[in-house]
Order: sequence, then structure tokens, then C-alpha cells
Amino acid sequence: MRLTDLVQQPGEWLRGTGADSDIVISSRIRLARNIAGYPFVTRLQPDQQAELAHTLSENLIAGDLIPDAHYFGLKGARDIERRLLVERHLISKEHEDAELERGVVIQATEAVSIMINEEDHLRIQGLRSGFELDEAWATLNAVDTGLGESVPYAYSERLGFLTACPTNVGTGLRASVMLHLPALEMAKQIEKVFHAVAKINLAVRGLYGEGTQASGNFYQISNQITLGKTEEEIITETKAVIPEIVENERKARDFLVTRNRQQIEDRVWRAYGMLRSARIISSGETIALLSHLRLGVHLGVLPGLDIGAVNQLFVRTLPAHLQILEGRELEPQTRDVARAAYIRKCLGEI
Amino acid sequence: MGQIVCSQCSKRVATIHVTEIIGGDKKEIHLCEDCAKKKKLLFPASASVVDLSDVLSSIIQAAGEMESDELHKAVCPDCGITFAEFRANGRFGCSRDYEVFRKGIDPLLERIHGTTEHRGKKANGPASKRHADRLAELRADLKKAVADEQYERAARIRDQIYTLKKEQGDAAN
Repeated sequence: MRLTDLVQQPGEWLRGTGADSDIVISSRIRLARNIAGYPFVTRLQPDQQAELAHTLSENLIAGDLIPDAHYFGLKGARDIERRLLVERHLISKEHEDAELERGVVIQATEAVSIMINEEDHLRIQGLRSGFELDEAWATLNAVDTGLGESVPYAYSERLGFLTACPTNVGTGLRASVMLHLPALEMAKQIEKVFHAVAKINLAVRGLYGEGTQASGNFYQISNQITLGKTEEEIITETKAVIPEIVENERKARDFLVTRNRQQIEDRVWRAYGMLRSARIISSGETIALLSHLRLGVHLGVLPGLDIGAVNQLFVRTLPAHLQILEGRELEPQTRDVARAAYIRKCLGEI
Repeated sequence: MGQIVCSQCSKRVATIHVTEIIGGDKKEIHLCEDCAKKKKLLFPASASVVDLSDVLSSIIQAAGEMESDELHKAVCPDCGITFAEFRANGRFGCSRDYEVFRKGIDPLLERIHGTTEHRGKKANGPASKRHADRLAELRADLKKAVADEQYERAARIRDQIYTLKKEQGDAAN
């Protein structure tokens, strides 16, 4: 498996399947783990970084712990390959910086990925399309238990799994659900969701994690507390808010269709028209227009358009994906031209 | 009620209304979304998204005001960071810091998580078994480092062994 081959496959989080997948894009769980006897990543000596990357990757790809798993060292990887991994949510933005000896183990299906030497020695991530946190946890829990048998985790009876940042200590678990909430945004109700979520100690983030802006009306809801609760409790509490948000988004969509049919149809068709005729388009504009398109397909305004294809466009029009698909490096301006051409090819030119 | 114009730009309609009370003086400010954004008043509303690291550093800073000089100067014998360094960047140097700086960390954990007690999954198997394997490995490394006259590396391994033994002791308690 080569990294660049990833652009050809759908990718777990944009498959568009699973429960409530018209609104819930994906469910993700990650565990932070460190190895006993080594300092945390910022204090690792270069030879220790290499040693850990080697030992951990060997342990992770050996046997049947993760079926069809592959290791990629990031130090030797090209910038565009690292960016590709960020765009596919397989590594974090922080992990893209390749000063350190670091890497990532990826399951070929992209359901499991493990960053080595990120903020913690290990960031084990499980990803599922749709609203499937329990399923993501079941997979991840097994990987974690299996790995824990061969490597000694930094662990204390009192504080649980010890992490580089005190916000992750204990379970080291972050459960997040990515939602597409265009109707709530149009109805200017999105702030109410944020306030309700903040009250119960959950956080809202943008498409690409901590500190990122929300774009294309995508939002991630996740837990903040990692200590003093069991993994199942954390997951249940995070899950608990989702049905209400989904319900509100559905109501807002119904309202748009019954009361503002013409406006919503106009917005969706304009977006479709722009995407099929633009000659120069940025990735920001693409995401915003695709967001309308996605809503249009789910509202039945745009029949005949495959939601899987629309979902694919979200990721394939991102800079690294686009350049790999084009087979060459492109300056930002030529990239916008190539992006417009690619979208026209996929959606059919007007 | 008529529309209030933004008191900053005097152009757009004010949608954000802030009441500032300093001392006994109450002041009302009316801002449009753009000006509120510039003033970083939109939190966590609108398109701005809560940045956890900002929240964390403010929590850590607030906690810092109550700490003693003694705690600030405390140094971890394993990784060498001081508590003041931890406070500055919010990251530990090694797992032992949790015990070395316990006086400062426990109140911080209380603020972040509301507790200092883990109730989740336990590391599999007895800690002593996991540690024993790693210890044997480290001892072999140490021997080799000394034989190769790599003293810096040997010193580091010795420190790792010490940490591991310490962790083992904690787990047994």
C-alpha cells in the first residue's frame, strides 16, 4: 500500500453510510497512551524517538491486532503526503510537522489509525461513518487491550493512563461526533446548540479539530472530561446530546422545505450551477457550495445525484488530494483552475 | 425597540450587547458582529469555535496565582522540568511529574475534571509484570551502553530504570 493510493478509496469518514448519516458524518474515538520508562515526546532524545517509533510500529503491525495495517514514517515522507493524511483525518495538524521521528500506522480500510510520537507516544484512533460511537469503541478497545499486553503503558492506579497534557489523563479518551448542520445555521439556531453543548461540558470544534474554524457547516462535538468516569460513561454522555441536535436539524430542514421551498431550491441549484460552471474555485468556496449540494441531495431537491460522490468531492478537492489526483504539484492559482476543472468533470459540465 | 447602531463602527446594526461592571460603574456596549469579533467578544458563539488550549492555559494560569514559590521551583529528577515550566506550556516532561508536582497538579485536575480519581479501564495485567519485562530490557541496554562506553546514554537508561521502579512502587501502594 502506498500513501498516495489513499486518494482512490472512499475513506471511512466520508463513506456516507451508517445511522443518521444524512446529518452525522462520522464518529471517532481516540485514546492517548504513553510507554512506561520513556519521557514524554517533548523530552525524548532523537535515538529514543526512533527506538519508540520502531518498537511501537513493529508491535502494531505484527500479528492480527489490526488486520491489514501499514506503517508510514513521516520524517521521510513528502510534504504533500503528510498533508494528504491530515486531509483524510488520519493524522492531526500537529503531527504533520515532521521535525521529530514520528509516524502513523494505518489500517487499509482507514477505520483505525495510530499516530506515534504525536503529543503522546500513541494516539490510537477509531473512525466510523455515521453515528456509531459504540462500534468505534469496540474496535478501539480491542486494539488497545491487545497492544497493552505487549507494551507497558505509563499508568497509575490513582490517575489512570498518564498523558503529556493534564486534560487527557485518566481514560485518555476523546469521543467525537462530526455533524453537518446547514439548516440550523441558515435558521440562525446554531449558537443555541453551542450553548446547550457547552453547559454539559462538551466542546464544539471545526472540521479539522482543535482551534480550527467551522467550515461548510461541519461541527465536531466531543467530551472534555477524561478523568473520573468510565469509558462507557464518557461515550454515553457524548452520545446523549446528539439525537436532540439531529432532531433539531431535521426540524429546521423540514421548515426550510415546507415554508421556504423556493429559497432553499434556489440556493441549492445556484450552488450546483456554480460548481458545474466555475473556472477558478478555492477550496473554501468549494466546501461552502458542496455543503449546499449535500443538503440538496438529502432534501430531495437534487434527485439523481449520488451522495457518495458529493462526499468524495469534499475530500478530493482539498489541495493535497487534488495535486495527487492531477499527478503534479500545483501553485495555489493553477490549483484553483484545476479544482474547477475536476469538479466539472465529476458533476458534469453545464 | 428600534435597532441600535454599533458603538464601535457607528455603521452596522449592533447584535451583541455587553454590560461591563467595573467597580461600581455599569457601562453598556453595543457592537455589531464584525466589531465584536475584532474585540474577541464572540465566545463561543457564531463561527468561532472554542479553542481548548486557550481554555486550558487560562485555567492553569488561574491556578498558578495560588501556588507557592517552593512549588514553582520544584524540579522533576527524571525529566528535569520545573513546575514553572509546566505552567508555562501546559505539557509534562514525563509521567513522574504527576507525582513530583502533585501539590500543584491535583488542584488543577480538580478544576479540569472535577476529580483526581481514575474510574476507567485499567492497564491490562499486573503492573509488576509489564514493568518486569521492560526493566529486564533496560538493564540489558544499560550493560551494553556501559560496555560501549556510551556514558550519556547509560545515565539516561539508569534514570529510566529509576522511574520505572518508582512507578512500580506507586502501583503497589
